[in-house]
Amino acid sequence: MSRKILEVKSISKRFGGLQAVSNLSFDIAEGEILGLLGPNGAGKTTAFNLIAGFFQADEGEIKFEGKQIRGMLPYQICRAGIARTFQLSKPFGGLSALENIMVGAFAREKSRPAARDEACAVLDFLGMADKADIDANDLTAFDKRKLELGRALATRPRLLLMDEVVAGATPSEAGEMVDLVKRVRNRGVTILIVEHVMKVIMGLSDRVIVMEQGQLIANGVPAEVVRMPSVLKAYFGEGYVSGGEYVSASA
Amino acid sequence: MNLKTKNATATLGLPLLAITAVVPLVVKDAYTLHSLTMIIYFAYMASAWNFVCGYVGQMSLGHSVFAGVSGYVTVLLFTGTGLSPWGGMLLGGCMAAVLSTFIGYPTFKLKGPYFTLTTIAFAEIVRIWLENTDEFMGIPLKGAQGLVVPPSPLGWQVFQFDGKVAYYYIALALLIVMLAATIALERSRLGYYLKAIRGDRNGAEALGINPTRYSLVALSISAFMTGLGGAFYAQFFRYINPERNMGLDLSIDTAIMSIVGGQGTVLGPVLGALILHPLAELTRSYLGGRFLGLHLIIYGVVLIVAVLYFPKGVIVPLERWLQRSGKSKR
Repeated sequence: MSRKILEVKSISKRFGGLQAVSNLSFDIAEGEILGLLGPNGAGKTTAFNLIAGFFQADEGEIKFEGKQIRGMLPYQICRAGIARTFQLSKPFGGLSALENIMVGAFAREKSRPAARDEACAVLDFLGMADKADIDANDLTAFDKRKLELGRALATRPRLLLMDEVVAGATPSEAGEMVDLVKRVRNRGVTILIVEHVMKVIMGLSDRVIVMEQGQLIANGVPAEVVRMPSVLKAYFGEGYVSGGEYVSASA
Repeated sequence: MNLKTKNATATLGLPLLAITAVVPLVVKDAYTLHSLTMIIYFAYMASAWNFVCGYVGQMSLGHSVFAGVSGYVTVLLFTGTGLSPWGGMLLGGCMAAVLSTFIGYPTFKLKGPYFTLTTIAFAEIVRIWLENTDEFMGIPLKGAQGLVVPPSPLGWQVFQFDGKVAYYYIALALLIVMLAATIALERSRLGYYLKAIRGDRNGAEALGINPTRYSLVALSISAFMTGLGGAFYAQFFRYINPERNMGLDLSIDTAIMSIVGGQGTVLGPVLGALILHPLAELTRSYLGGRFLGLHLIIYGVVLIVAVLYFPKGVIVPLERWLQRSGKSKR
């Protein structure tokens, strides 16, 4: 069993009367792609933001490479080695694609030429070298998404948190993104991915965890997890649990 | 800064600089020189404002407090201790920078209009306090009456000169330093970070940028530069008072010049000052006496037109035109 890169222990987060995340524990092994699933409002994005430091957990522990990161701010967490993407990608307008990625590269490279070299390498990796000088706001929606991934990669993370990477993408774009995520992992980056599209999660994840109403309800290999009654109940409701046919339909 | 804008900045800026440098050799009229010096002064102040507000995308309407504080420090040190205004200017600039971090630390956490309102509040509190304080801890502030710079034997040491030419070149030197600082900013990590914060604060934070820290660095540099400008103004007029040197008018003027010209660009604020200050001067001198307030109406109409047709600043279509004509020549 390889080393655990991230350990989440009993974290909870309450917004007023809503318990968004309650007593959530899971961990990620180094080099793994872990999918985080759950119906709308299950607390996936909240859990994601707790790890990334955008929300502060009310209780529990979050350890990255053995060090406590709970209570750290987003920019400190990035410097520690965790990068993230957002559900809605907003490029830095007025900067070109290359310059957008340079902003990320400056996290590790202090000089402009070094940051530029790093950003060029990342653009190559994304297959966007020909779009380096285009104003980021003028890119297509999917290129903006790739650009955001590139920005995150330029900070040289060891753990990458990805929120809904294929939302709104065409099937061929989704395929390209899946491919890209796999290549990112092959560079030695561990990945936690929040996703709605089952096909993407199934094809990509080594392991998935499922949340419902702030709690963890399943943890395992994708093919097994989608057959678990608790998961089916969370997604489709009580009436569908007995019939097995819907499982294959959804997977 | 990408290559295209760099070229446009050079093709626009260098000839402008060359003309500005030789003007006093040709123009001898004191009034004209005075007006030109004021344009350069406003170009400088708008550029200093732009250094933080244009790049970080937060509108301060309290920058006049930095000019005022530094102006007062300079004049008070000169009259009280005999310190050369050059030294006072640097000290005043430093005080403005320190003050700016006190103002900026709590306010940069606010967004949009809340940030703007807080900067106005800070500046107005200081101005109103100063207007109503004749003496503070033994320092004669003289309230709304203001302070006069006592005349001394002319010379560099005391920052007092015969005629306008010396002041003209000092203002020009300040402006060149300011523009060089802005160009350096465009090419530095700080510049990229500020633009990222402007584009998407959360996104910037996720890339390891501490928004408050980098905004504060830029603000303190901007406040220091604004302070130098305030001290220059005090020496140029040999008089300083809270209304003129610290009032809301000064803050609004610098902000508007920067916005109309093009904030977040090197030459935008210069262009804004070049358009708006002469306009204000001319309408005031030709219309101010006959139709009370008409000059303000015309000024207002030009502002509306500029903002409607060039929302990103007059510099944007100008640079595009320069690029196009540059290309067709090649």
